[in-house]
Amino acid sequence: MASVQDRVIEVTTRVLQLDPSEVKPEHSFTSDLGAESVQSIELVAMFEEEFGIEMDEDAALAVTTVAAAANYIEGVCKQQGVEV
Amino acid sequence: MRLVLFDPLTDSRLHFNPLALCRPIWELRCGMTSLGDKLIAKVGAGEVAGFVPEYMADAYREQSNWTVNSSASLAGDDLLLVNARVKAESFNIEPAGPSQVASNDDGECVFARIAKEDLARLNTDSIDSLIASARETLPRYAGKVATWNYTWDLILANSEQLVKDFASVGRSGNDGSVEEPLAIRGSRSDVYIGERAKVHPMVVIDAEQGPVYIDDGAEIHPFTRIEGPCYIGKDSILLGAKCRAGNSIGPVCRIGGEIEESIIHGHSNKYHDGFLGHAYVGEWVNLGALTTNSDLKNDYSDVSVILDGKASIDTGSRKVGSLIGDHTKTSIGTLFNTGSYVGSMALISPTGKPLPKFIPSFAWFLEGVVTKGFGKRQLYATAKTVMGRRQLEWTSAMEAMWDQIFEITAAPRNAAIKKGRRALRNQRG
Repeated sequence: MASVQDRVIEVTTRVLQLDPSEVKPEHSFTSDLGAESVQSIELVAMFEEEFGIEMDEDAALAVTTVAAAANYIEGVCKQQGVEV
Repeated sequence: MRLVLFDPLTDSRLHFNPLALCRPIWELRCGMTSLGDKLIAKVGAGEVAGFVPEYMADAYREQSNWTVNSSASLAGDDLLLVNARVKAESFNIEPAGPSQVASNDDGECVFARIAKEDLARLNTDSIDSLIASARETLPRYAGKVATWNYTWDLILANSEQLVKDFASVGRSGNDGSVEEPLAIRGSRSDVYIGERAKVHPMVVIDAEQGPVYIDDGAEIHPFTRIEGPCYIGKDSILLGAKCRAGNSIGPVCRIGGEIEESIIHGHSNKYHDGFLGHAYVGEWVNLGALTTNSDLKNDYSDVSVILDGKASIDTGSRKVGSLIGDHTKTSIGTLFNTGSYVGSMALISPTGKPLPKFIPSFAWFLEGVVTKGFGKRQLYATAKTVMGRRQLEWTSAMEAMWDQIFEITAAPRNAAIKKGRRALRNQRG
């Protein structure tokens, strides 16, 4: 099974229409990957759908990098009893 | 005699959402005034108290001079308790007289007249206990009492009510300033221009089919055409608007484009082109340029409205536009379907297609679906900014009320968000 980070990268490439090779864990969604505000909202929605979780929008949108998103999502999955 | 208006949290109250989410039903408008104003005028009450749903009591106290949700107002005088949904026009109950109670077919109390001497044997701890004990012990009123049942009742009655309200105010003429040329069609006695109001040149006021009341401080810019019956509220501005018959606007609104048979509460803007018809719009709404609603289906069948996110209700009318809740904002080019329900505190960024007929409160509608967006805190921050531009404060009581509304409206919003996530996933493969 793919890691949380791999799945975060996969969703990010789909939403932002990027090649997987263009997305690195240290990349910022906005300054490196070019996510606009609407796409940030879409990313949150798609992460929720991908992992079957509910995220607090303020906390989720405060996350800036791909690696941080993976960490945050792992924590939410644990809290909500979702196996990853 | 003390008039006590009450607005119980019954199923029928939901029929007035999203407008009634943040205000008592008696603050809804029809014609030139609110339903509460009409009841007070009809009863001739000197003293008024109100009972609102508890979650909005603190916020409403800030806006009202009345005693709100205080059991003290249920003692010490003859009382006339009147449900907020009662139609003032057909309420022909003498304020003073023997005690009696009336209920509608759903068992909801519509009014109770309680003589002071009977209060001692009733439970006055709360409005609910007073009504319950009154219904147990006092004689029943045998007649029927007409009530407003849905928001669209107000829209559909607005033209007729405007004519009646203009007659009852009994004003005509010009107390403001008019720059010629002004063209008035119909009788000048059917037009009133209030104090401080300014009518710029090249304005047409067509009072042939009904009166036009331009209230104090309103400003009518060039190339505006106002068809009566119509009420332009205090300090509102019409910007080259095609203001068709049957509108109640303001106070402090900015209105352009085409608008017909619609009711717009205070501080809402529809500055630019776009059509709004048979709509009811709450306070602090901003409709972006070219926002348009349909108010007539192509097959001319009756319009249905979804109030709860699930079931359609047949309005029985061929013409119903949008019901738009307070603080909602639409982006440019928003297209609302016939009979749309647009919740309060929603933010709409459309995709060019007509939107779903039900958009929940606090929805961020983006990319064709309902999302969580940036959440309610960001919506509150926007509300604070918008109110601050008019020197009005977003208070902690308002925020507490809206927090409650967020919870009350969660179920349909959460369902729409889940549906939206699935749709996004499908869109993105």
